[in-house]
Amino acid sequence: MNRYFYYNIVLVSLLNLMLFVPYLLIQHRYEGSIMSMACAAIVGSILALLFTHVMKTYPGKGLPEILTLFFPKFLAVPFMLGCAFMWLTAASIVLYTYSVLINRFFNPDTSSIIVLTFMACVCLYGATRSMFTVIVVMEVILVVCTPFILFVLFKAVRSPLLDWDAIRTVAHYWNRLPKVKPFASSLFVFTGYMNFFMFNRLNSPNFRIRFRWFIPVFGSLILITSFFVPIGFHGTDGSADYLYIWSVTSDSLVMSYGFIERVIFVFLLLYLMLSLMFATIGWHLAMELVKSCLPQPKKPVDPAKTPRSNWVIVCVFVVMTITYAYTFNEKQNLEITSYWIVLRACVEIASVLFLFALSLAGSGKRKRLET
Amino acid sequence: MLNRIEMLFAEARDLTLNRLQNGNLVIEVAYIATLCDESKVSDFILVPFAKQEIPFEDAVKRNPSFKRLDDPAKWAETILHGFVLLQLNGVVYKLDVARIIRNENPQTMVETVIMGPQIALSEDLIDSVNIIRSRYPSEELSVEERTIGTISKTRLLLVFDKHRVDANVLSSIREKLERISDPIFTATGELVRSLGDRYRLFPSMMVTERPDRVCTGIEDGKVILLLQGSMFAIVLPSTFFDFMHAVDDSYDSFWMTRAMIVLRYFAALLTITLPALYVAIMSYNPELFRVQLTFSISGSRSAVPYPSFVEVFIMLFMIESLIEASVRLPKYIGSTATTVGGLILGQAAQQAGLVSSIMIIVTSVVAISNFVIPVNNMSTAIRFLKYPLIIPAIFFGISGVALGMFCYLIYLSDLRSFGKPYFRLFGRTQLQSGDIGQVNQE
Repeated sequence: MNRYFYYNIVLVSLLNLMLFVPYLLIQHRYEGSIMSMACAAIVGSILALLFTHVMKTYPGKGLPEILTLFFPKFLAVPFMLGCAFMWLTAASIVLYTYSVLINRFFNPDTSSIIVLTFMACVCLYGATRSMFTVIVVMEVILVVCTPFILFVLFKAVRSPLLDWDAIRTVAHYWNRLPKVKPFASSLFVFTGYMNFFMFNRLNSPNFRIRFRWFIPVFGSLILITSFFVPIGFHGTDGSADYLYIWSVTSDSLVMSYGFIERVIFVFLLLYLMLSLMFATIGWHLAMELVKSCLPQPKKPVDPAKTPRSNWVIVCVFVVMTITYAYTFNEKQNLEITSYWIVLRACVEIASVLFLFALSLAGSGKRKRLET
Repeated sequence: MLNRIEMLFAEARDLTLNRLQNGNLVIEVAYIATLCDESKVSDFILVPFAKQEIPFEDAVKRNPSFKRLDDPAKWAETILHGFVLLQLNGVVYKLDVARIIRNENPQTMVETVIMGPQIALSEDLIDSVNIIRSRYPSEELSVEERTIGTISKTRLLLVFDKHRVDANVLSSIREKLERISDPIFTATGELVRSLGDRYRLFPSMMVTERPDRVCTGIEDGKVILLLQGSMFAIVLPSTFFDFMHAVDDSYDSFWMTRAMIVLRYFAALLTITLPALYVAIMSYNPELFRVQLTFSISGSRSAVPYPSFVEVFIMLFMIESLIEASVRLPKYIGSTATTVGGLILGQAAQQAGLVSSIMIIVTSVVAISNFVIPVNNMSTAIRFLKYPLIIPAIFFGISGVALGMFCYLIYLSDLRSFGKPYFRLFGRTQLQSGDIGQVNQE
C-alpha cells in the first residue's frame, strides 16, 4: 500500500520543527544554509530512491530479516541495536522538547517532568501495540491533522505581515558553501522512508512503489517553508533569537473569525498529536528492533495478545527518557540534539548505502539462481 | 417411556403423559401442555389414532413431520422445546407442535427510519428467517442451527451467505460459540458479552432489529446470529464506521446523507470531548479562546462557588439521571420527567448560581449529540467515554484532553472485530492481496 509509505514521509518531514531543524538552519543562514538545503534535498531524495530498491528486492522483510540473510546473528545484533538507538533517541528528544513546550505555552505551573511522564505513558501504551495498529493510528492522525497544518502554513505564507524583503535578503546568501550541521539537519526532512526499515514487514510481495517524485517535492517544500517563513516574520536577524522558532511564528498569526484567535494553540495541539505519533512510532520500531535481537521465533505482525516483552522493553525506554529529561536541561538538550542530528545523518547515509549494497548482492544472487 | 420422563421432570401440572389404547395398538404420548398447541396434538396424533382410517403406524411412517428420536438422553430437552414425544411399537418419535407466544409483526422501535422497511425481526426464529429469506432470496444463504446456554438451551441460528462470508471469521465465531458456558441466554446483549465484548469500550458486534441492515450485512459477507426469544439480531464482524452509518444513508438524497455522516462524526467528537474541554478551558487555558468569548464564559461562571470539574460532574449526573429516568419510566410519564428535569431544573440551577449557563449549554449539546449516533449500543458506549477524559483534563488541561484523545485513537485502532481491523480508514473495500499486513500472517 503506497499511501502508508508516504504517510511516514509526511509525518517525519512535518516533525522537523520539533527537532530544532529550523533553528539550526537559521543559525547558519549567512553561512551556507541554503546550499546545504539544496544538497540535502538531492542527497535525501537519492537515498530514498536507493532505499525503495531495497524494499523492492526484499518485500515483506524488515531490517533484521534482511541482515540475517547475509550475516550471522552476532554481527547483525550491534547494527540493529545501533539503529534502535537512533529511533529511540529521536522519539525521546521529540517528547522531551514537547514537554518543555507544554510547560512554556499551556501549563506554565506544571513541572515539565510530570507532563513528560504522562506523555511517555501514553506513548508506552501506543508503542506496545502491534505494528498494524501503529500504522493505522498514523493514518488517522495524519488524515485529521495534515489539512489543518497545511492551512496554518498557507495562512503564514499568505500573511501580509510576512516580509518578503527579509526572505530575499537571506536568499542572496545562496552561494555560500554548504556546512555539515545545516546539511545534516535538513537531511532529516527527507528521512521518513527510514521507518520502512521495519514497516517493510507489512508490505505484500506484489508491492510496487509509485509516485516517487513526491519525496523530493514535498520534502523541499516543507524545508523551504520551515526555513524562510520564520525569517519573513521575524526579520533576518531577529529570527535567530528564538529557540522554538515556529511556535513564536505561529503566534504571529491571527484567525479573525474563529472561536480561537491565536493560531499558536491550534498549531501546538496539532503538533502535540504529531509528536506523540512520532514518538510512538519511534519507540515501536526501536522495540521491534530490540525484540528481533532476542532469541525467539518470529512473531506475526498483528498478534491478538500483546507480548510481555513489548511492555518490558518500552518501559525501559520510558525510564531512559525521563532520566534524560531529569539530567539535562533545555540548553544541554539543544546542544545534544545538534550533535545527534549530525550523527543521525551519518548513520542514515551509511546504513542506506549498506542496505543498498546488500540488495544489489541479493538481486544479483537471485539472477544467478534464475539462470 | 412415560415412567422415565416422569422421573426426569419435577412435579409439574402441565406435563401431560398419556397412554392410549385402540384395539391392540398402544401408544404413549408425552408433552408439556403449556408449551404446545394442543389442537395440533389432537389433529396429528389423537384423532388419527382414534379413527384409524388408515393404519396409525403407516400414518406415522408416511408423515415426515414425525422424526425418530433414538437417544433417551435428549427426551427432556426435546419436550422442553415444545415437541411431543410419541412411542409406537417401542420406537420414539418426536413431532414439533410448539406454540410460541411472540409479538406479531413488530414495528421497528429502536432504530427507526423515515423511508425504509418498517417491520422488525420477530422474536420467533422461524418468522425472522422468513423475513430475512424473503429479502435475500439467494440459494447461497446458509442457515445453521445450534443451541447455547447450559440450562436454557436457547436455539441460535447462524445465517450467512456461503460464498461471500469470510472463512476465518466464520470459524472463529464457531469456536467462540463452542466455548460459551453461561447458563441462561434471554437477550442478544448477553450473547454479545459472552462472545468477547465484555470489557471493551466499544461494541464490536452490531445488535439490530432491522431486516434491511441484516440483509446488507449478509451481502457484505457478515454473519448474522439470531437468538430464539429476542427480536434483535447480531451482525458481526462490524467496524466503527458501520455503527456511524444509518440505514437511511442508502435511501435518501446522496449529498444530504453524506453531510449527515460528517455531522455524526462531529457530534461524536463533541459529546466525548466537550465536558473535558470545559474543565480544561475554564481552569487551565482560558487564553485559548478569543478574549470576548473568554470573558462571557467566565462571566457566566462568576456566581459559581466551586471549581469547574465539580460543576461538570453535577450537571453530568443530572443529565444522565434524566436520560436513565426517561428510559425506565412508563411512556406516559416519560415526557413529564424530561420537561421537569430539562427545562425547569436547568433554568433554576443556573439562576441559583449552582452552575453556569454555559455549562447548561454544554450539557445539552453533549446529550443531544449523543443521540445523533444511529446504533443504540454504540451510542451507549460513547456516552461513557466522556468520563475518563475529564480526569486528564483536571490534571493537565487542554494538553491532557489531547493526550486522552490520542489514547482513545490507539485503543480504537487496536481493537479487532473477529480478526478484522475495527478502525481503519478507507478500509471497507480492499483487495486482500495488495494490502499491508498480509505477508506474515500465513
